[in-house]
This record gives sequence, C-alpha cells and structure tokens, in this order.
Amino acid sequence: MSAVLEETPVPVSAPVRDGGTRAVLALARFEARRLLTSVPVVLAFAVYVAWIVWHTQNSWDGYPALQDVDRETQTMPTLVGLAVLVYANSAVLRSGRRGTESHFATLVMPPWRRTVAHVLSLVPAALLIAVCVAGQFAREAFKPGAVGHGSPAELAVGPLCVLLFGAAGVLLGRVVRSALAAPLLVVLLLFTAAFSAAPGVTDATSWLAPFVVEQSGPTLPSDLLGRPAAWHALYLAGVVLCVAFAAVLLAGGRTMTVRAGVVLSLALAVTGGVLQAGGAEASPELTAARERALVRPELTCVQRDGSTYCAFPEWEPRIDTWARTVDEVRSLAGGSAHERPLVVRQRVDATFGLAGDAAVPPSTEADRVTVGTVWGGNRVPEFSSAVAAVLVAGSEEAGGELCDGRMVTLMWLSLSWQDDPMNALSRVRLDDSVAGSATVLSPTNPMTMTEGQTDVVRHLLEKPLPGTGDRVKAHWAELTEPGVTTARAAELLGVAAPEKADSCER
Amino acid sequence: MPPTVSASGLSLHYGRTRALDDVSLRLAPGVTGLLGPNGAGKTTLLRVLATAVPPDRGAFTALGHDPGTPQGRQEVRRRLGYLPQTPGFHPDFTAFEFVDYVAILKELADRGDRHREVRRVLEEVGLGDVRGRRIRKLSGGMRQRVALAAALVGDPGFLVLDEPTVGLDPEQRMRFRELIAGAGEGRTVLLSTHQTEDVAMLCHRVIVMAEGAVRFDGTPAELTARATGRVWSSTERDPGAKAGWRTGTGSFRNVGDPPAGADLVDPTLEDGYLLALDGIGTEVTA
Amino acid sequence: MREVTRALVGPVWRTMPWRALAAAGVLGLLTAAVPAVAGAEPDPWQTLLLLRGVALIGALGLGFLLDDPARHLTAPVPARRLLRQALRVGLVAPLAALWWTAALLLAPSASRPPAGDITLEAVVVGVLALAGAALAVRLTDEARPGPFVAAFLLLTAVLAPLLAPEDWALFVQPDDPRWSTAHDRWAVLAVVVAAAGVLCGPEPVGRGRRRAAKARRAGGPP
Repeated sequence: MSAVLEETPVPVSAPVRDGGTRAVLALARFEARRLLTSVPVVLAFAVYVAWIVWHTQNSWDGYPALQDVDRETQTMPTLVGLAVLVYANSAVLRSGRRGTESHFATLVMPPWRRTVAHVLSLVPAALLIAVCVAGQFAREAFKPGAVGHGSPAELAVGPLCVLLFGAAGVLLGRVVRSALAAPLLVVLLLFTAAFSAAPGVTDATSWLAPFVVEQSGPTLPSDLLGRPAAWHALYLAGVVLCVAFAAVLLAGGRTMTVRAGVVLSLALAVTGGVLQAGGAEASPELTAARERALVRPELTCVQRDGSTYCAFPEWEPRIDTWARTVDEVRSLAGGSAHERPLVVRQRVDATFGLAGDAAVPPSTEADRVTVGTVWGGNRVPEFSSAVAAVLVAGSEEAGGELCDGRMVTLMWLSLSWQDDPMNALSRVRLDDSVAGSATVLSPTNPMTMTEGQTDVVRHLLEKPLPGTGDRVKAHWAELTEPGVTTARAAELLGVAAPEKADSCER
Repeated sequence: MPPTVSASGLSLHYGRTRALDDVSLRLAPGVTGLLGPNGAGKTTLLRVLATAVPPDRGAFTALGHDPGTPQGRQEVRRRLGYLPQTPGFHPDFTAFEFVDYVAILKELADRGDRHREVRRVLEEVGLGDVRGRRIRKLSGGMRQRVALAAALVGDPGFLVLDEPTVGLDPEQRMRFRELIAGAGEGRTVLLSTHQTEDVAMLCHRVIVMAEGAVRFDGTPAELTARATGRVWSSTERDPGAKAGWRTGTGSFRNVGDPPAGADLVDPTLEDGYLLALDGIGTEVTA
Repeated sequence: MREVTRALVGPVWRTMPWRALAAAGVLGLLTAAVPAVAGAEPDPWQTLLLLRGVALIGALGLGFLLDDPARHLTAPVPARRLLRQALRVGLVAPLAALWWTAALLLAPSASRPPAGDITLEAVVVGVLALAGAALAVRLTDEARPGPFVAAFLLLTAVLAPLLAPEDWALFVQPDDPRWSTAHDRWAVLAVVVAAAGVLCGPEPVGRGRRRAAKARRAGGPP
C-alpha cells in the first residue's frame, strides 16, 4: 500500500443491519407482491378460480371418486404457471431493461441473492395455487356422493408445476437477456402440451412431463391405479430445485451451498425420475390384482332388503344409492320378480390400468347385476336397465340377447320410476334419440331397441305410471314370456301396437 | 480532518483509452467537488469509487475498508450512497416502491424500520406528498430527487453523486444544493458537476480532472486564486488570451497571460478552473 | 411526401427490431420443420395446430415491430407516426410473406389444412399483434411496448379458444362443416383488427372535442 493509505482512515459506523438472508426474504416479499398483483397473473388466477367454481358445480355428475379428482386438479394450474413464467422472467430482466443494473450492481446485495429472491417470490403464488387445489378437492370431497381417496402427491403436482414454470422463467432470464424469450418458450410449452395431450399409452418417458393426467380411462380403486404419484412429486420437486439452483448459479452464486444444491437436487430429480419410470410399468403383483378385480374381486358385501350388494371397499358408501335404484325397479315388477333377491356386484376392467377402455363382460349367473365404478348422470338409467334386464330375462347375458316384446317391459321398468323418464330414455340410448332403433347402454354389454319397441315404450312413458304399473303386474308372466311380440306386449299394456313387425336389428 | 476515503495510483483502461491515469486523492467529511470537461474521466473515477468497476491498478480505502477484497467491498457498499449519471427507473414502481427496493438491496431487512427510513428520505428530498405516485408520472426534477433519495436511503457515510443537478431548473438546483449541503454534514460527499457555481457554493474542496488525471486538488479559494492577475477586461477580444468572451456590458473578459498594463479584474472560480485546464484542447464557452 | 418516404426507408430499416424478428422467424421455421426432420406423419389436426402455433410465434416477433427506443426523440418530427409505422409494416410484410410461405412448405404437405384459410388465420394473428403494438404506442408513453404486446398476445392465444363462444367456431378442424363459415368470420376479424390498428396510428392532436367544448363553456381557454 502506498504512503497515502498508511494514515488510518476514520471508520464510519453504518446503521445496524441484519444479515443478507433477511434482506433476501424482504426482497422476495416485495417481488411476490408485484408478481401477485401483475395483470397477467391476476387474470390467470381469475380464470382459474372461475373455472374451479364453474367446473365443480356439475363435475362427475355429483358422484366423484376422489382418486380421479386429485388428478383433475393438475391441468388448470398450468394457466397460472404460464403467466407466472412470463412475469417472473420480465421481473428478472427488469433492471437490465430499465438501465438500473449498473446502479444496483453497486448495492450491497449481489445479483445472485437477487435471483434467490426472485425464486422465493414464486412461493406465495404456489401456495395460493395449493389453496385453490385444496378448495377444488374439498368441494368435490364434501359432495354427498363422493367416494374414494385422494393422494397428497397427486394434489401437490399443481403447485409444484407453478413453481417449476416460474423457476424456468427466472432461469431463462439469466440465460437469455431478451424479453421475447419467455413468450416463445410459452408457445413451445403450449405445443408440447397440445401434442402430448393426445391419448396414448403412458410409459416411463411420458412421466418426465410435469403432469400426466390419464383422464379418459376407467375409474379404478386407489390400489389398482398404478400411478407412481409419490415418486413423480419427488421428481418434480427435484427438477424445481435444480432449475432454481441453476438460475442462482448462473447469476454468480458460486457458493458451496449453491453448488451442493445443484448436485443434490439433480440427484433428487434423477432418483425420482428413475423410481417413477420403474413405477410406470405395472408390477407383477399389480397386474395380478388388476386381473383379479375383473374375475374375482375382493369385495365387501352387505345385505339390503334381501338383496346382496358387493362393492370395492372404497365404494361402500354408495351401496344405499344402488339399493334405492334396485328397489324402485323391483317394486314395479310383477310375479316372483317383485320379491326376487338380487346380487349386485361391482366389477371393473382394470387389466390395462387407466389406459384400458374395455367393456365388462355381462354376468352369466342368474339374478346377478353388475355395477360400475362411476355413478350419477347417465350411469343411473344404465344401471336401472341392467336391473330390469335381470328381472325380465333372468341374467345379464340373456338381457343382452333380448330381441322380442320383453324389451318393452324391460325399458318401462328401467325408466318409468325416474324423475324425467323421457329424458332418461334419451340418455340411456347411445345416440340420445327417443325414436327409431338404437343401442341401449348398460354397465356391461349394450342392448338393442327396435323402432317399434321404442314407439311403444315412448307411448307407455307418456301414460300415467299407476295404470301401466297395474297392467304390468297383472300380465307379468305373459309379458316376460320368451317370444312375446312387441305388438302383444303393447296390447297387454293398453297402447297402440307398432306399425312394423318385430325385428332385432343386430 | 483525517481522510475517510484515500486512493492512490488508480488507473483504468478501456481498450486503448486511458480513462484514469494514476489518480491519487484523499477525501474528508464534507462536500468535495469534481470538475472537468466531458471525457475527463470523472464518471469513471466515481464508478471506481462507488465499487461499480474495479481499477486496473492502484488501490483505495473507503471508510476504513479496502474494496479490493470481496469482504471489504461489501463493507464499503453497506456505507455507500451512489447516484449514477443516468439513473434508470422502473416506471411502473411508485417513488416509495423504488426507494424501498433500493433499500432492500442495501440489505435494510426490517420492514418497519426500512419503511420509516424510506419515508424519511423521501420527506428529506421533498417528495413526501407524491411518494405513492408512479415514477412514469413524475417530472424530470422529481425523478432526479427519487434517485437522490435512493442514494441517501440507509444513511450512507460516503455519497458519490454524478452530475446530480443536470437538467434541473434554477429553483430545483437551489433546492438540490441545500440537500447536498445537508448531506455533507458529517458525511463524505463526492460531487461531480459541470457547474462551477455548485462547487463555489457547496464544496470545501475541489478536484479538477482532465484526460484521466488530477490537474488540481485544493480549496475553491485556492482554485480561484490561481487566476489572480490573469483575468482582464478589454474592448476587443485579446488574441493572446486563452479564453475570451463578450460580457453583458459590451467589454471583453479575457483569461490567460495578460499583456502589460491590462485592466485586471477579480477572478472567479470558473476562471481558475479554465486555467487549471490550461494546455488542454477544451472548448471554452460561456 | 414521397421523397420523405423514400429517404426514410433506409433509416427505418436500420431501426427495426431485427433480433426479435429473426429469433421469432427462426424458431417458427424450426417448429414448422419438426415433423419433416423427425420423419413423422402427423394427423391433420396436429398439422393445423402446428401451423397455428407457428403463426403465433411469428406474431410474437411482430409484436416488437413498433418498438422504438428513440421514440421520445422522434415524437415531435413532422413525418407522421402513421407513416413511420406503415413503413415498418411495409418493410416487414414481404419478409413475413416469404417466411410464412416457407413455413407452409416445411409443414407436412399430406396433412396440411387449406393453405388460403390457414394463411388468413395467420394474417389475423399477425395483424392482432401489430394492432396491439399500435394500441400500446397510442395509449402509453412506453418506447418499447413489445413485452406487453407479447404478454397480451399469449393471454389472448390461451384464453380465446377457452372463452370464445362455441357457435363462432373459430377454432375448428378442416373436416368440420363449419370450416368455411368460420373463415368468413376470420376474414371479418382481420378487417376489424386491422382497422382498429390503423385508427391507433395518428397521434392525438387534442384531448377530444368534448373536453375542449367543456373547457370553453367553463370559460377556460378553448
């Protein structure tokens, strides 16, 4: 040092300040407030919340299975995530764009700590998403018809996605100093989302995406889902941390903590990725359990009014609803069918997990009715038709092969007790029609109505219930006799016979 | 008074351009003025002293710390207030938010204390009433005061102000002088300016720079004294004068080496400044 | 006027945000070329989505076209803002047309939607970006409104398919019977958006007649 410096300069005391950590938190708070009040983020949240309110009104026809609901919370947070990405990126680029960087560079807080604050400022947005996700899930869970269990790991995906998108925006701002980069990245992400949304088999690589929804498949019991949800959440958390640490590292935060953070979070992401890849392929035990679910599932059985109801344990609360339908249909039937004990068994084809879409084969045993895992809406007249088919034809398989006048009685039993029978008729038919021939859906194989049968059923449904009910009970034996013609059934029930003769249009 | 900032042998090159050439100086509490033509290296010197750029050679200490080490630089930055020549603004921020933002970057972490401090400095620069207004809605003079508030926040011991009075009207400039004079009480203030009146009115010391080097270092009176006997008035522009211009009274005021029998007049600080730049191809205007 | 325009071509050319335009252009072409490079044979809906996305990428670049860092310096010159903006659009239009043709040629030809109709959609998105930029210039004092325009465009791109009324059928597939009526609507949209953009061009002279009249009635200066 030169002679000038040897004079002892007077140290001037500075005001007492706290450590850098608290300042980083203060900056994170500042940035979070700006993020949450920025126009794109506010708009995205408004749309997201409006979607939740609108969607949960009629979702799942009021009978949600919570192991489906948790997955359903994963898509829409992406909208907020994209807005957060764009804003977080512009916040990182702000001081460069406004020419304050040279000034801020002389302030105490180094740029990498500012980047830490930008990353931390994403946390409140993610927490807000978590609240929205919890709200959506709670609203479904409190519906009286809700069954099943949600998975916390699946519910965590929405908030983690928002963190991931935001951290990507911060990282991008540290790599490319252009305001155009983030919008272009968003377009590419939208592309990827649009193309990967195409239905297909989910394999190990598809689990590398932020979320894998698999919404189109059947509703399965929780333990047959076979989704590596927990590992995926771990993988996502690892990726989020890795991106965040990488952004801090690129901003010049070359401390041991940051370096260790990059390595550890990368290890976390890789671990999660590998384990979820392992979990994406169904294990032999899971495959065996899925096959059992179709042939001899482990069900809990209870008695209601002489009938037996067997359901997967998670669906037990729904047995009363089924029993009400069975009672309604049975009370309309005549002869022995009026008192006949039925066995309602829940079955689902889980062989291919959520990717499968195979119909459940009809039961061949007498008095056995199959019920699926979904309820509400069209599923009610479908189940009702299956019950009526068993009462009229003896078994589900026989009901599927019906092609004579018994179909009239069957459909009348199935529909007449419902609130709006004509509407139920259209909903239970594949083409939503109330005239002409059509396929009638049931939990197992579909049935067929000819044009003439449809006309007769429609006329019957237009008449008052008690009168027809008495006729059905009075002529039950003849009406359920194999080979009875539609014209004869119409005559017995007191409506005009169809113009065309019976013909099963198989 | 013992120095709070001492620099020795500061040199900085931008490619082949020598922006700073072996600059040594010592600053004590109070306002020190830094004069010099455009391109003299004033801004570079201020940027070095504000720890924005490290010097190629030489060293300095500020407030007892050596910015040559990472730890020392942090310590200096904790006690530093800097007003850059072209301060950027975030137009979407309110005046309060902007100063608050800078205060956070100065690591004033406690929210309540920080907000009190931000309100205090905004009050001090006379922006208390408009602190909730967005910067895009503020006039140029108000923006300049926001920048000064940002420099003052956190009660720094060492203030580096790069041409803070540029673009201000006379009344605003007066107000600014008051602020800077107030800030100079107990603090070390280095003020770069083109306005010799600023220096004459505010500074207890003045440094004149040209071509990256210090040409004069002393009190304003000493700088003025340099021109004693070297300013004269005449009816025609004196061809031997280093600078000359027609004054409002019609006569010419000449600076330089006077001819024998010249009508000598009292010098001003500006005359001393012009003479300190002697030999440098500067444009002299008045 | 004509001389001024001719003389302006060079300087305007140099002040255009070429980096943003080039980045968007290159990325758009790369995206369009993905199926060809990967040897994939996408479905018609995928190609349609691809081209719509490419158009959006190009429009994001166009959103930066009216960025002028020297705006505050050039505001008071006699050459009108509308002229200067039109010049920018005029200079970029042939390049944009070439670029779009290249994108169409790069997209898999087997599954390509009708070229004229998809071009119309691209024109609407591009004009929307320009109109957004013109509106931002008109309403704000911002010299570089590009990022805002990009954010607005993205928001529109995400929300429009979600919120547009179902019977407008703007975002249908080529095999949909409503495809041609949908494109009549796209054409109307193009005209409306372009008109809105042009209306934003001229600089406002006063605060509007109504206010001036009010000021007169109040006894203030007209």
